Formats: sequence, C-alpha cells, structure tokens
Amino acid sequence: MSNEHTVKSYEEELRYLIDSVIKMGSLTESQLVDSMDAVIKVDKDSIDKIIKSDDEINKFRSKIDTQIMTLLVKRAPMAIDLRETISSLKISQDLERIGDLSKSNAKKVKPLPLDLPEELLGNLKRLGELVIKQLNDVLDSYVNKNYDKAKEVWEKDEQVDDLTYIAMESVIDFLSKDKKNLDFSTHLIFATKNLERAGDHITNIAESICYLIKGEYLKGSRPKGKVIQQ
Amino acid sequence: MNNVKIKSKNLNVYYGEKQALFDVNLDLNEKEVTALIGPSGCGKSTFIRCINRMNDVIDICKVSGNIEIDGVEINDKNLDVVSLRERVGMVFQKPNPFPKSIYDNISYGPKIHGKGETKSELDEIVENSLKKAALWEEVKDRLDEPGTGLSGGQQQRLCIARAISVNPEVILMDEPCSALDPIATAKIEELIDELKKTYTIVIVTHSMAQAVRVSQKTGFFHLGKLIEVGKTEKIFKNPDNKMTQDYITGRFG
Repeated sequence: MSNEHTVKSYEEELRYLIDSVIKMGSLTESQLVDSMDAVIKVDKDSIDKIIKSDDEINKFRSKIDTQIMTLLVKRAPMAIDLRETISSLKISQDLERIGDLSKSNAKKVKPLPLDLPEELLGNLKRLGELVIKQLNDVLDSYVNKNYDKAKEVWEKDEQVDDLTYIAMESVIDFLSKDKKNLDFSTHLIFATKNLERAGDHITNIAESICYLIKGEYLKGSRPKGKVIQQ
Repeated sequence: MNNVKIKSKNLNVYYGEKQALFDVNLDLNEKEVTALIGPSGCGKSTFIRCINRMNDVIDICKVSGNIEIDGVEINDKNLDVVSLRERVGMVFQKPNPFPKSIYDNISYGPKIHGKGETKSELDEIVENSLKKAALWEEVKDRLDEPGTGLSGGQQQRLCIARAISVNPEVILMDEPCSALDPIATAKIEELIDELKKTYTIVIVTHSMAQAVRVSQKTGFFHLGKLIEVGKTEKIFKNPDNKMTQDYITGRFG
C-alpha cells in the first residue's frame, strides 16, 4: 500500500490487524519449533509450557476475529483492503490449527521412552525442520507481500508429503520389529501425520497470500507428493 | 452479457471554456444496471445528462463525439428530443414530484406524449406504473392527495413511477437515494433490481456499497475521464487501475 487512507484511523486499524497476524504467526512458529524440539529430545519438562503457549495463540485468534468484525462493520473495506481483511481471517484460522497440532505433538511426548533410537527420529526431525522452514517462509512472504515466495511455499508442500511418507515408513519399520513398541510408535505416527497437516495449513496460508496480493486464486491443483494410506 | 444498448464514442463535453468530459468511450448494456462512481465534479452526472440530452438546456454546454442508442446517434440535430426523453427517463437526487395529485403526477407524462387517450387507459397506466414502482399498495386509496405530501422515499418512488409511466427503455438515476433514509434506500434498491428486468438503468452514486449491491457494471470517473470500467465484482474486489483502487478504498476523494 503506497498511499495512505484519507481516514487515518482506518489506516491504523488495518495496520493493527496485519501486525496482529504477524505476531500470531511468530508465536505459532515458536510453538512449532518448541514442540518439535520436545519430540526429538523427548523433553517432557517443556510439555506444559507448549500447551500453555497455545492459549496465547487462541487469544490472538479471538482478538483478530474482533478486529476483523469491527473493520467490516465500520469501514466496509473494498478491493485490497477487503482482501487484506478476509486473508487475515483465513490466515489466523490456519495459524490456530497449526498451534493445535503443535500442542497435540507436545502431548505425545509424555508416553515416549527416553531412549528412542536416533535412526527412528532422524526422518521425523527432517520433516519437522522442513515444516518449520515452510512456516517461516510463508510468514516472510506475508510480511513482505511476496507473491513468488508464497507460491514457492505452496509448491514445496510436495516435499513435505514425500518426507512424511518416509518418516512414516521408518516408524512402521521400527514397529514391525517388536510389537512392544506399538504404544509409543502409534504416538509417533500421529505426530508425523500432524506435521503433514501443519504443512497443509501452511499451503492454505500461501494461497491466501497469493489471493491477497493478486486478487486471483492460484490456478491448478497443488503438486502432491507420495500419499500416505489412511 | 447483454447487448449494448447505449454506446458513447469519444464523448467530450465543455461548459464554456471548461472541459467536463474527455473522450469517454463507454458501452452500457441492455437490461443491466451500470453504476457510475467518482469524486464530486468528476463528470459522471454530466455523462448521464448526455444520454437524454439534458445538457441541451445549458446554453454554454457543447457536446462533441457520439452517443448511440440502439445504434442511432442521438446528438443528431434533427432528432426529436421530446421523443428521446420519452425513451430515456430520469430520476434526480432530490425527489421532485409535481405540485399535483399522485394521479396527475403519473398521468401527466402519458398525456403529453399522447398515450392513454381515455380515462380508463390512463387509470391503467397509473396503476401499472405505481405497481412497478412498488408504491401502489401504499397510495391506491389516496390517489387524489398531493404527491408532495408523501414521505421522501415514497416521493422518490413516485418519481420513478412517473419516469416509467411513458414506458421508457432507459432510466437514468442521479444519486436517487442520497436524500433518503436506509429503509427508503433499501426499497429503491430492491426496486432497481426489479426494474432492470425491463429497463436499462444507469445510476450515479456516491455510495460504493450501493454500487456493489445494485449494479452489474461499474465505471469510475476522475477529472472528466473514464478511468476504468468493468464488472462490478471485479472493480470492487480487484480493480486493474491504481487510481480506481485508491478511490474505492478511501485513499483519495
């Protein structure tokens, strides 16, 4: 937005909304990093802190909802402002869901044994790092209104699918070796799946950003990697 | 998309030395509502006043270029302006009923245009026009009362009924709701939606929300130039021109 609104308070309200989404994104990213760390290090002490941080994210979501309602009622935004408002609504929904998935993963740390073999966690770690990078990139594209970067994230979800498939295979391999691994392996399978879902929410955010910038939805279907049988 | 009903080509309008419109090329589709938006003094009212040659009554006004209705040039000096205005009705910003009865307000136009020779024919025109303007139920028992005694919203619908009583093809509306309350505005907007099934409508409005609600096509004017025209949805969600975007988002005006 090069020009500012004639009404200064409108400009401030929109800026405040965008800032709230950026802050919510930053909190969501920290929570995702922390929950991945907790899983990989089987750090049971950090679980409560991660669960608590989800409350903060949910509060942001409610705050953003209120800001959007007020903007719609007061300003009846048009064109870029309308797209900015609607994108904020959609992006905050996806961020909240990513927060829920991070929380869910943190909860899965509790039943894990402390001596998990490294080869089991290696692929999950790589998947987590990729999803964190995707979230970081998509938030970056939101801050800088960078269409190409958002589209790149959208396309790159294919790699998330592929890594999910590989991470799942390693857990299933491990499980098949000894049935007593069944209990915690199931938790790892769900944790892997949660990361893949977080990746899907990130692509939704990328789509919202592309629509926000160009006013057109991305054409065609997103490239998909290997699909895990449900 | 409907057929083009009105076509302006390189339309220029001057008020004395001052040029009010610059090379306006705009197609208005049949049985559709076209909204014209833009800051005050941008030329949108001047443009619609060209369509029924209302500018003829201003001595210093000079029009060049073309306006065609159904492919026929209306700026032709030999064209009968009275019959043009029979085909192209107009509703103004402020309701302006004649200081006569509700009945006479409606029957006046048909009478001077030689329509409705008998009382029963005129009765039928009055009833139909008031019904089309969604006013019949409210006034049918007091047709002899003065039109000026109606509420603002009713007066505006009376003016719409008066415009349609001569069976026009086009209705021009110059900010028809700016003097009305939200309920009366909603009734007029609903009426416009109904009228577009029969008539080609051009509405000048300062309300973006109204343009979005009532029109299928929107044109944005600025300093006498048509900056952008397109489907209403496109203009208000994702306009091509930055100036249009700045105007509709309140970044200048």
